[in-house]
Amino acid sequence: MTLCDIQYGKNFKIINLKAKGEIRRRLVDMGFIKGAEGKVLREALLKDPIELQFKGFKISVRRSEARQIFVEEIN
Amino acid sequence: MRLSTYTKPRINNTKPTVKNINKIRIALAGNPNSGKTSIFNALTGESQHVGNYPGVTVEKKIGTIERDNKIIEIIDLPGTYSLTAFSIEEIVTRDFVLKEKPDVIIDILDSTNLERNLYLCLQFQELGVPIIGALNMTDEAQKSGINIDEHQLGIILGIPFVKTIGSKGKGVEELLKLALQIEDGSLPTSTRKLNYGPELESQIEKLITILKTDENFSYRYPMHWMAIKLLENDNDAINRINNKHEHSNAVLKEAEKSRSWIFRHFGDDSEIVVSEQRYAYIHGACREVVKTDSLSNKIDYTESIDKIVLNKYFGLVIFLGIMFLIYHLTFTIGNPISGFIDHFFSWLNLLITRSLPEGILRDFLVEAIIGGVGGVLVFFPIVLLLFMGLSFLEDTGYMARAAFVMDKFMHIFGLHGRSFIPMMISTGCAVPGVMSARTLVNPKDRVLTILVSPLMMCGAKTPVIAMLASAFFAHRAGIVFWSIWFLGWVTALIIAKIFRLTYYRGEASPFVMELPPYRVPTTRGVMTHVWEKSWTYVKKAGTFILAASIVIWFFLYFPRPHKQMAAYQKSKIELEQKIENQTKLSNNSIDENQLILKYQNELTELNNDFVNRKLKNSYAGRLGRFIEPVFKSCGFEWKVDIALIAGFAAKEVIISTMGIVYGIGNADDNENADMEKSTPLKQKLQSDTHYNARNVLALMVFILIYVPCMATLAVVKKELGKWKYPLFLAGYTLILAWTLATIIYQISGFFPIGG
Repeated sequence: MTLCDIQYGKNFKIINLKAKGEIRRRLVDMGFIKGAEGKVLREALLKDPIELQFKGFKISVRRSEARQIFVEEIN
Repeated sequence: MRLSTYTKPRINNTKPTVKNINKIRIALAGNPNSGKTSIFNALTGESQHVGNYPGVTVEKKIGTIERDNKIIEIIDLPGTYSLTAFSIEEIVTRDFVLKEKPDVIIDILDSTNLERNLYLCLQFQELGVPIIGALNMTDEAQKSGINIDEHQLGIILGIPFVKTIGSKGKGVEELLKLALQIEDGSLPTSTRKLNYGPELESQIEKLITILKTDENFSYRYPMHWMAIKLLENDNDAINRINNKHEHSNAVLKEAEKSRSWIFRHFGDDSEIVVSEQRYAYIHGACREVVKTDSLSNKIDYTESIDKIVLNKYFGLVIFLGIMFLIYHLTFTIGNPISGFIDHFFSWLNLLITRSLPEGILRDFLVEAIIGGVGGVLVFFPIVLLLFMGLSFLEDTGYMARAAFVMDKFMHIFGLHGRSFIPMMISTGCAVPGVMSARTLVNPKDRVLTILVSPLMMCGAKTPVIAMLASAFFAHRAGIVFWSIWFLGWVTALIIAKIFRLTYYRGEASPFVMELPPYRVPTTRGVMTHVWEKSWTYVKKAGTFILAASIVIWFFLYFPRPHKQMAAYQKSKIELEQKIENQTKLSNNSIDENQLILKYQNELTELNNDFVNRKLKNSYAGRLGRFIEPVFKSCGFEWKVDIALIAGFAAKEVIISTMGIVYGIGNADDNENADMEKSTPLKQKLQSDTHYNARNVLALMVFILIYVPCMATLAVVKKELGKWKYPLFLAGYTLILAWTLATIIYQISGFFPIGG
């Protein structure tokens, strides 16, 4: 399951990062590492990008990026 | 005694140094949105100046202050989340620290996001610079129930921390005091405590041993940092080794070995493992020093606002509403001011015309210099107002939301959510439009946005196209005008897509973007931004615009028709004499008044005829006739070509130049070129058999798209730093305009159009 599949309003926990190159670096620098938790807040009009509550801040990622973040849904 | 592990090479150790002469240099660093700017302002007061980092267009702000008889230079580094080699900002920051070796770095940390902010802080520590942490926005953290024990944090990380509130200037003096203590060695800092765990540390140890085989190299860079960068497979570090390390092959081979060892051991890339260890260490530290008061009944205002502003459906409406408001306010307030400035320069022209004798010098002053300076300053109020609105949005935190709302749509065309604003602004004026593309962090996105923004219908193209539309399309003029306006957008988006698929193709840049909490902007903050941007426009773009205006003047003015001039002067004096005599004798009878009127008309005609001849004879006029065959396919005659050449100075000049070529005088003599003033031109064009709906339509499209005005080209050069960009922009728009105009002219022959 990837971050792209999480419904908005639901929480997630990161299992693995499949992204490569610059995107991977960016995500890791922002704290997208194994075990980190967050919540999907909403999506934009054309379903893309999505907004996350992640640790103490809000961040938006495109669906193409979210698809490269493997997560599990948590409560 | 300095206790730090920081080893700054003191090359001039042997020479006695006088402390007062040495400037102390403090660099400010931190995450974007950590309140760095407010701390910078609080530290430096009014003593700031803006420049660029060498070779790139990242802004470099420097302030100089004096404390305890020491001169302190404070350098504002770009806001970054990390120190990798992926973005210009990060490379600039890293290079600055490695090359310029500031005496102290003050890292500004957002206390409400301590973990992510410490991630950057520890990377500075690894770079081996003396560092102080400013726990900024302490007030906001406390409000949301976050309490940080800064002393304990300092002990754990080996860095002194100070609590600050940048917007109120709290804690700023203490930062400065600590910085001075660190500089003179009385306060220890940057004792690296971060441990990557036995597995990683053993690999780091190995790499350090091999790195040290080149003594010069190990003197130049902090070895622990270099070893970690090798584990992270950092391109920039690898380049440095390739270029500067004596045994680069051995080092890189060893690094490769270490990375694959880590991969086998941890089951993940070493770059990920390094980051995870760093985060794990930070997490542990925070658990010890941060007490979160879960009972505090905090309201998440940002989320409440986002619920409305980023609502799936209202979001777009709100965004367009805000854009419209800013755009509308800017041009309703700005245009009269611009008009006023324009009038001022007209008045100045008149003054010089009256006080100087006729001749080249006077014409040069009036037409080239004043025309050029006026051309720069006329944009100034618009630039200023637009940036006021945009800085306000930026400082509230809304800009990132705007990008969020527009991203999908813009991404379809290979652009970024943030590309929308420069394009939108360019429909008013491409000069501030191109400048506002600075919010695009990724260089490819930024170049692409800047290259297509000038295709928009701007305020200067508007009167020209509106005049043509109303002259040839009667009751359908409105539809035609808006179709052309819309065509600007369509062309820009399609061209962006084409560029993205060809020259600017490649891996998509990450969108990953923080949506900062909403904040009330300070007047000071907004005004500082506005002033910096507007002033650099006047300074940098202004000089080029002035130079270009002189060149264009030269082409329109020379060579002078000496023979005709003598004849003209003679007839002019004769006519003036006649008028004068008649006026003296006049007893106000109707006949005599009519005679005077007749003479005056003759004089005007003579004048018009003369400026017409002058223009035809000029280099630009000759060029216009010379290139006529090229534009035949678009349905343009040479008279139009001259006007288009002159339009390079500024698009609205097309109307006045057409006035001159068509012998009805300068259509906007001391008045703004707008539709009413150009009525005689309109009638003239309508009655000219050369014109019909076909070639006028082609002409409108051509004017919309062809070479941007020189002011735009000047800011493109200024913003992107290289001449190749404005040259490419001018080249492709010319070819595109010609192609589209030709297609329209040729195809429209098969359809009945016009009104």
